[in-house]
Amino acid sequence: MKTKQMKSDAAMMVEIAGLKMKNPVMTASGTFGYGEEYADYVDLNQLGGIVVKGLSLKPRLGNPPPRIMETSGGMLNAVGLQNVGVEVFIREKLPFLRKYDVAVIANIYGESYLEYAQVAKKLSQVQGVHALEVNVSCPNVKKGGLSFGSDPKEAAEVTRRVKDETCLPVIVKLTPNVTDIASIAQAVENAGADAVSMINTLTGMSIDLQTRTPHLKNITGGLSGPAIKPVALRMVWQVAQCVSIPVIGIGGIMTAEDALEFMIAGAQAVQIGTANFINPCATIEIIDGMRSYLNDNKIKNIKDIVGTLRT
Amino acid sequence: MAKDIYMGEVSKNEEIQFDYFLMKVTLPLSFADPLPGQFVMIRIAGLHDPFLSRPISIYSYTRGKSNCAIELFYRVVGKGTQILAGLIKGSQVEISGPLGESYTINPAKKNIVFIAGGIGVAPLTLLAQHLCKTVCHDAATMTFYLGAQTADAVVGLDHLRKYCYKIFVCTDDGSLGEKSLVTTRFQKDIKKYTPADTAIYACGPKPMIQSLSKMLDGEYFCQVSLEERMACGVGACVGCAVAVRDEQGQKAYKRVCADGPVFDLQKVIWE
Repeated sequence: MKTKQMKSDAAMMVEIAGLKMKNPVMTASGTFGYGEEYADYVDLNQLGGIVVKGLSLKPRLGNPPPRIMETSGGMLNAVGLQNVGVEVFIREKLPFLRKYDVAVIANIYGESYLEYAQVAKKLSQVQGVHALEVNVSCPNVKKGGLSFGSDPKEAAEVTRRVKDETCLPVIVKLTPNVTDIASIAQAVENAGADAVSMINTLTGMSIDLQTRTPHLKNITGGLSGPAIKPVALRMVWQVAQCVSIPVIGIGGIMTAEDALEFMIAGAQAVQIGTANFINPCATIEIIDGMRSYLNDNKIKNIKDIVGTLRT
Repeated sequence: MAKDIYMGEVSKNEEIQFDYFLMKVTLPLSFADPLPGQFVMIRIAGLHDPFLSRPISIYSYTRGKSNCAIELFYRVVGKGTQILAGLIKGSQVEISGPLGESYTINPAKKNIVFIAGGIGVAPLTLLAQHLCKTVCHDAATMTFYLGAQTADAVVGLDHLRKYCYKIFVCTDDGSLGEKSLVTTRFQKDIKKYTPADTAIYACGPKPMIQSLSKMLDGEYFCQVSLEERMACGVGACVGCAVAVRDEQGQKAYKRVCADGPVFDLQKVIWE
C-alpha cells in the first residue's frame, strides 16, 4: 500500500522551467492570500505550488468597495491589487511560507518597467522564493497592468527587464482581454519567459437595476469562476500549440476533471483560483482526484496526458 | 490544520415573520465554540448558482453530548437567502466557521448599550446572552435599542427578552413602539451613559451606523458589526473591504471577514 502511494506520488511530480513541484496543482495569485489564510484548512506541504497575492514595490491601498459581485457561475472582482508591498512581504509573510516544503511563486506587478525590475530584484535576493510570476494582466488598475499585457512589444520588454534581474524561473501571466493571445505568448517566449500562465480574469460588469449603478465601485471587474472555463481552455489549447515553453492553465477549475481537461489541452500544470473561495480544501481534493484518475486509467505519469487532445 | 468544512444538517428552518427565517443547523462536536459577533459561511453542497457562500452571523449556539447546533437568523434579501429559506428539515448544508473577530468585552464598562437595526439584532442577541452568562454583567445593566422601518421588521424580541429587560423598540412609521429612528431614540438617553463606564455595541444598516458615528464622535467605546459582500470569508480574496484608520492613523482597507466583522466605530472611515 505504502509503495503504491509513493509510486503514484512520483507519478504526480512535475518540473516547470526548473521549478520542481510535487504535483501540478498550484494556487492562483490573489485567491490564496499569502498562504497563511488557508493554512488552517489545507496542509500547504501537499500543494504543488503557492502563488502569492500580487506584490508591488510599494504597498497598495486597492480600490474602494464594493469590490466583488457574484455572477452566474462565477464572480467579478475589482480589488485593485491591494497588497503589503514587496518589503513587508519579505519581512513578515515569507518567513511563514519558508516553514513549508512547497514551491513559492511570487506574483509581481509594476507600474513601469523599472518597478517590475526592482520588485524582481528584491525577491531574487531572498531565500524561499522559487519562481516569479509576472502579472502583465490585471484588469483592475488604472496604470500599467493591462496595457503591458495587451501589447506584444511591451509584454516582451517587461519580460526582458525581469529576466535581467533574476536567476529564478520567470512565468508571465497573460490576459485574455486581447485580440490575439498567441502573439503575446510568442512575444514573451522570445523575450526569455520560462513559462506562461493563463488566463487572468476576463473584464466584465454587472448593473443594479434599481439604482442603475454598477455593482462594483470600479464599474468593471475581472470575471472568474467556472463561467470562464471554456474560454480559458480554448486559449490554453491555442497557445500550447504555438510556444515551446510550458503553459500553466488557469480559469474556472473547480474539480480534478476540470484540471485534467486543461492538461489534455496542453497545460503542464494548473492553478486553482476562485474555487478556493467556495471550498477552502478544493486544491487537495483536486490533487487526490487527479491521482485517482491516473490509478484508475493505469496512466504511469501525469506528464503522459499533457497535450494528448485527439482532434 | 484546525479548521474544516462541516456538513451540517438543517433541523429547523422557520419563517418567524414575513421574509425573516430562523434556521437551526446541527453540527459535529468538532465545530468550535463561537463568540458573539462571529459568523459562518453557509452554502448548499454542489450548487454553483448562486456561486458564493453566504456569510451569516451566529444568533445562538448550544453544545450537547453528541453534537452542537447553531441558529442563524436571516432575512431573505436575494437569490442566496431565498434558496436557504426553501431548505427543509434534514437538508445538508456546508458550513465553515466560526469566522471573524468577535466583540470585545470590557468588564470595566458596567453599562452595556445595544443598538440594533432590523436583523442587526441577531449578533447582538448572542452577545447579550454571552454577557448574561459571564459574571461581569447582569440584565439590569443592559439596555437594548431596537429599531426597524415598520413593525413587520422588528424581529427577535421574544428571544431577546430572556437576556435583556430594558428594551426600547422604535419604528420609522410608529407601527410598533415609539415613532423614531433608533439612533434618535438612543440620543435622548445619551446623557445617562457616561463614556468612562459604558460600552456600546451596534449592528444595523450603514446609515444607522454612520449616524451613530457622528453622534458619538469617538467619545464612547463603541464596536459595530459591519456587512460587505464576501467571497472567501477567510481573508484571502480581499473583496469585503472597509475603509478604516490603521494603527498609524492612515487610511487602509481592512477585510470585514478576517479583520472584522466587528470594528471599533471610531476607526471606521465613511467615504
